[in-house]
Amino acid sequence: MTATENPAVQETAQTYRPSTLQRFLPFVIAAVVPFILGATTDDLNFWWKAAITLAILALVARLAWRWTPRGELTHREDMRLWRTPSDRSWAALTTFGLLVLPFILASDFTPPMDFPWATWFAVVNLVLIFAMGAAAFNLLVGYSGQISLAHVAFLALGSIVGGIVGVQWSGGNMWLALPAAALAGAVVGAISGLPALRLKHLYLLLATFGFHFVMMLVWREYLQEYFGFVGIRFKGVNSPRIASWLHWLPGIDPDENGEFIITGQFRWYWVLMPIAVLSILFMVNVIRTREGRAFAAVRDRDVSASLLGINVARSKLMAFALSSAVVAMSGVLASFYIGSRGEDSFNVQTVLNYAIIIVVGGFSSIQGAIFGSAFFWFLPEWFKWAREELWFVRDIEFLSDYPSEIDLAIKGFLVVIILMFKPDGLAGLWRDFKNWLGRSLARRNP
Amino acid sequence: MSGRGLDLRIQGLTVIYGGVTALDNVNIAVPSGGFVSVLGANGAGKTTLVRSITSLLYLHKGRVRRGSIELGGESILGKKSPDIVAAGVAQVPEGRKLFPNLTVKENLLCGAASRSDVSGIDESLEQNLELFSQLRPLLNQTAGLLSGGEQQMVAVGRALMSQPSLLICDELSLGLAPKIVHRLFELLTEINETRGTSILVIEQNASLALQHANDAYVLELGRVLMEGSAAELRGNPMVQELYLGGGGEAHTSYAAIERPGRSRPLEHGQRPPVAES
Amino acid sequence: MLLAFGNFTADPSVNLQLLIGGLALGAIYAVVALGFVLVYKSTDVLNLAHGEFLMLGAYFALTFLISENLNFFLGVFVLLLVMLVFGLVVHYGIMRRMVGQGFFAIVLITLGIATIIRALLLIFYGPTERARLDLLPQGSFEVGGATVRHVDLVIFAVVAACVLLFFLFFKYTRLGLHMRAVADDIEAAAAMGIDPDKVYAMTWAAAMVMAGVGGLLFGHVTGAIDRSIEAIGLRAFPAAVVGGLTSLGGSIVGGLVVGVIEQFANGHLGTKWREPVAFSVMFVVLLVRPTGLWGRKDLERV
Repeated sequence: MTATENPAVQETAQTYRPSTLQRFLPFVIAAVVPFILGATTDDLNFWWKAAITLAILALVARLAWRWTPRGELTHREDMRLWRTPSDRSWAALTTFGLLVLPFILASDFTPPMDFPWATWFAVVNLVLIFAMGAAAFNLLVGYSGQISLAHVAFLALGSIVGGIVGVQWSGGNMWLALPAAALAGAVVGAISGLPALRLKHLYLLLATFGFHFVMMLVWREYLQEYFGFVGIRFKGVNSPRIASWLHWLPGIDPDENGEFIITGQFRWYWVLMPIAVLSILFMVNVIRTREGRAFAAVRDRDVSASLLGINVARSKLMAFALSSAVVAMSGVLASFYIGSRGEDSFNVQTVLNYAIIIVVGGFSSIQGAIFGSAFFWFLPEWFKWAREELWFVRDIEFLSDYPSEIDLAIKGFLVVIILMFKPDGLAGLWRDFKNWLGRSLARRNP
Repeated sequence: MSGRGLDLRIQGLTVIYGGVTALDNVNIAVPSGGFVSVLGANGAGKTTLVRSITSLLYLHKGRVRRGSIELGGESILGKKSPDIVAAGVAQVPEGRKLFPNLTVKENLLCGAASRSDVSGIDESLEQNLELFSQLRPLLNQTAGLLSGGEQQMVAVGRALMSQPSLLICDELSLGLAPKIVHRLFELLTEINETRGTSILVIEQNASLALQHANDAYVLELGRVLMEGSAAELRGNPMVQELYLGGGGEAHTSYAAIERPGRSRPLEHGQRPPVAES
Repeated sequence: MLLAFGNFTADPSVNLQLLIGGLALGAIYAVVALGFVLVYKSTDVLNLAHGEFLMLGAYFALTFLISENLNFFLGVFVLLLVMLVFGLVVHYGIMRRMVGQGFFAIVLITLGIATIIRALLLIFYGPTERARLDLLPQGSFEVGGATVRHVDLVIFAVVAACVLLFFLFFKYTRLGLHMRAVADDIEAAAAMGIDPDKVYAMTWAAAMVMAGVGGLLFGHVTGAIDRSIEAIGLRAFPAAVVGGLTSLGGSIVGGLVVGVIEQFANGHLGTKWREPVAFSVMFVVLLVRPTGLWGRKDLERV
């Protein structure tokens, strides 16, 4: 129904268009200010930095909220990635947060009760890698409904490609290994998706699980053929580095050998974060396209989808290829970031870990993958901290005797409880929270 | 054989699936020993009605929001389906829903799940085979391989195995030859008359249902639009036009007909406004 | 092509030994596969926790039969009783709420249960490995140059007896009939007055009891009882699939076929080929005949 047909709508809705400058300004601030802060606030103490950061966060969110197109939207405006005031302010907040985070984490600061500051940077980097892989996994099993347990096989494939292209051919060129892994992941992924043309649900799950074991064999054979039992070392001479013709870039100061090696959490963060964010945005965008909607249609009822003119086979294979490509890339990143991969790097427990991540985070939601991996990596840290520092936990001997087992038990219980009572996981909780926030804000200033 | 039939009273029944209202304030009564039919097109809420009576909504994520269902003066709302069957309600589900991998005999025996008297079950089985004599040679045949008419007979027989006081038949006529449907309806009438079993028939085939039933209800988009004796409804011009295939201009939906009390016909697919609680 | 890798030997006694070893392994697979089949047949749930159930059974067998030193039959009775109670706990505590949920959510919740059981067993029994059980006959005899262990024969007999027992149960008892009815169509079964809840509870209890039997048997042939024995659950997948996930007899045939294939792959190609070969066989069976050799065909309604 258009506005002209219904005069009531036209009267009440306020039509508002920000200028182009206003539309992008909050994001520009969010993108630039962290670097200015990072460069200028070395002599400030932590609490000052925190206060300034929070103030700018609030400002950015407020501006993004305010300068949002309102009223009747054109189709173009309607199709934007961040359309509503709430979406836009969360996006601005996230941009700012992601950029300011490494500076905060790199500052030497001891929180009260020895809250584990130093290890957090490593955890954040792992979360980035896992979020990327888990989001791709969720795109396949959650959003496209193609049940697969082969994702760890693609992490292994990433490591193999990383080993061949990144280590054996080029001696530490991760940049070459990444696209190679994406390509290999897409091709092998499409092949591993072939059973999906014939099988569904349980049988597809079992077939992909079979593929997992075949890939594990390939991985072990490859390791033994070229590297022996020690596994592949992605560290040291094989560490990725920035090519010398890029050394003019700001923030890059080569060491005495004239090289800029990516090592240490801070540098890794600046490599991992853009790749993870870009690939996740890429997947979010795929979902919004015709191709992505076809995935969902095939998931819900493939026979009906084919009647609508969707090429079901193509759509299924596409989902497999896409997901596997991103998972393989995250496999390359994980290999180079962790630094070594051996025979036991991939096992059935890894498969379970990814399942835990997407359940806890929330099914069929890209956000859920991020929440899930954050939770997965932070939980052991919190737990460790609680065991060492919290007075009411510290004295329970039982807990410190079996730390990793209790970790595992907690994760298991969480999976069961979340599936029973809150099937959309942390992403669902987050949505509830946002809705509640939106409602209470709307009540405050109607 | 079983005693007299029990009466069923449904009052103010409102059922929702998620946020969608499927039944809205529905009142239906089946008197003891009565033969009542509920008419309605697809999506009118007929199957939901059956599911509410037999407490199977939970399998479809639906729930009763308001209202009461009483069988023989006792509330059966919130009871589990085995208890409801034990209380005397049996149903012939929509689309027959036989157990396809079980034999005909096993299917029939499943109908007696709520009974524990072995000799009585054998007796009922024998009675059923007298009613449906053509099932006798098929007893050890896998049910999924039978023809539609035979399957429907097994479904009715299976429901009768529990010696119900109230028999609910959901879409008995679906996908069957008219001749077989006629026979099944005559059979229902016979059961109703000789055993005193109350019968509730949910139907799309209105002419047949109105021919056999005493009372009838017309359900559309989750509401009872009309009720009365079968003869009354047969004489009603709107029912004739929409359900009995009478002349006049073609209407696709009952709601599309202008009638007092509603100023504007509902648009296609639009649900009637639901009263706020 | 396989010949290029392996060292196929013409010595018949080696092949006979592999065949016998394969049949013994297959009998264990059949025990596990039977557990999968029981649950899948009547509740349509793929129970990925069955390996952990089995591990639970093995550890409880250790407790009741070795540590508590109960009389063998009394110990086995207590073991199976405890397992039965655990089965009821799994159903009434968790699985009951999941009826009607999506397929993958249910698979994942069984993974969650698996994780919990594994973690709790490690906490309560510690990471040290225990010697395997030695309560069944330990001797062996020779046939044509190959060794046959008595314990393998016992396992085989027990599996065959279990399958026969379950077959008779499903065919001739009321509860068995009701279980099959629920498996066919849960809604119609509920409408007939069969309580699906009770049927599911019995199914989980039966699967747990089967896992108890499996744990007791597997505890006799595994290298040692430790955290790694849950892997038998995954390794028995190909057996369950090849036999067809809905067929009791199929689980025996599937178990034996896969067991023999695995042993031959092990003997002629090397240990690392065991799992890939078994899963490749499963893969091929899935593509050619998704319901396995004896499974029932499910028709999809559009």
